[in-house]
Amino acid sequence: MKKLIALIMAMAMVLSLAACGSNSSAPAASKDEAASSAAAAEGSASAQAPADSDSDLAYIQEKGVLTVGITDFEPMDYKDENGEWIGFDADMAKLFAESLGVSVEFVEIDWDNKILELDGKSIDCVWNGMTLTDEVLSAMECTEAYLNNAQVAVVNADVADQYQDMDSLADLTFAVESGSAGQAQAVENGLNYTEVQNQAAALMEVAAGTSDAAIIDSLMAAAMVGEGTSYENLTYTVGLNSEEYGVGFRKGSDLAEALDDFFDTCKEDGTLEQIANTYKVQAALVK
Amino acid sequence: MQTIMEQMPIVLNSLNAGFLQTLKLFFVTLLGAIPLGLIIAFGSMSRFKPLSLLTKFIVWIIRGTPLMIQMLIIYYFPGLVFNNPIWGGGETGRFLAASVSFIINYACYFSEIYRGGIQGVPKGQEEAGLVLGMTRSQIFFKVTLLQMIKRIVPPMSNEIITLVKDTALARIISLQEVIWAGQAFMKGSQGISGAIWPMFFTAFYYLIFNGILTVLLGRLEKKLDYFR
Repeated sequence: MKKLIALIMAMAMVLSLAACGSNSSAPAASKDEAASSAAAAEGSASAQAPADSDSDLAYIQEKGVLTVGITDFEPMDYKDENGEWIGFDADMAKLFAESLGVSVEFVEIDWDNKILELDGKSIDCVWNGMTLTDEVLSAMECTEAYLNNAQVAVVNADVADQYQDMDSLADLTFAVESGSAGQAQAVENGLNYTEVQNQAAALMEVAAGTSDAAIIDSLMAAAMVGEGTSYENLTYTVGLNSEEYGVGFRKGSDLAEALDDFFDTCKEDGTLEQIANTYKVQAALVK
Repeated sequence: MQTIMEQMPIVLNSLNAGFLQTLKLFFVTLLGAIPLGLIIAFGSMSRFKPLSLLTKFIVWIIRGTPLMIQMLIIYYFPGLVFNNPIWGGGETGRFLAASVSFIINYACYFSEIYRGGIQGVPKGQEEAGLVLGMTRSQIFFKVTLLQMIKRIVPPMSNEIITLVKDTALARIISLQEVIWAGQAFMKGSQGISGAIWPMFFTAFYYLIFNGILTVLLGRLEKKLDYFR
């Protein structure tokens, strides 16, 4: 009887291992295929169309859906009252997907994991007011810039008049989003800073007095501090740099070029300007 | 400026949707981990050495590494390493990956609690059963099981309440649970931006749900109190 139970348990373990085995052997097989054809497509896709298997565009069209990685970031990507994703970036992404003949799917991601999400193919592009930093440019296939932005310093409104130029910032302690363009600025200017999880947390640091100031995007600062927010006592002063937004795809993807062409078309027929007007970012458009 | 009262309906709507995800993950994990834990417990108590060693090795790995890392590996590795994103990018895929990670992780913890419960039943009872001519499975189901359940209720309650709060870890693979929903308003969502209170407000959801669980588990414990 003992042996019988042991046998049953052993079978259960073997079966569960076998289940794992079959799961991992399928991807392993497609890895071999991928290696032989330098492909990144799914097993079935690379089997049917080996010639197209290094094209990201073909992969998307095969899949029938463009998965766009975003965060809730007004006015670029945000939800309307019906829970539908809208915004300057979201609307452009819908049009771009339409032009490729695929549907669009928006997925909220953790901004820290954007490269992981891209490489792991759980998303196909990052289209969310992304600053084109050196890190982003080296890890992703990026489009040309389509929007201008700046990093600004956020301080308490009652002391704002003391911090209107670069030199006055030197003795402040800053909170910056880890890995953000704001952090890059803090490093470049030799500022004393603490890393926090996101731009919102950076603002909370200032509101709570644990940091003197924060460095965040100007488009975001305009939406997040001052009248009508929880940060009524904060304001933004010095612009530290100017920078540009772009869209990121997997390294080596042909979609970046396709989107550049699409942006050009939209610039010519006025669609880009029109959508920018809807979300009041027309002043920041790259001409 | 919107007052908190005006923001309330929008925020509650969003938090409710987030908490639904939390609850789904919680119940799916319990449904999967409770039986799987028993299988693992039998594996680690097996007299067949290789099986028990293998099981103990797996339990060591799962209990010895953070759940957050396990989730990252389970969700991202198929796409990153094997070039085959089996989970897909959408919400369903993220939920499935989180569920699988939670079930495996919690099953390993449960298995050790079960093992303690089973081994805590005096050996004499098993021997008496054998003398009476009962088979081992009869002894387990008719003698050991109920006493084991009684013994494991308090430590299981502990794990179950921890599980409610651990579901928040699933945000690492962008599962939009209740804290994610609350934090969205800090940055700006649905016309409310820079609001800090929704994130702190999520604590009430956990508190109330854990209150209900505590009462239910307390009742269960009382019900099993008649034999000691």
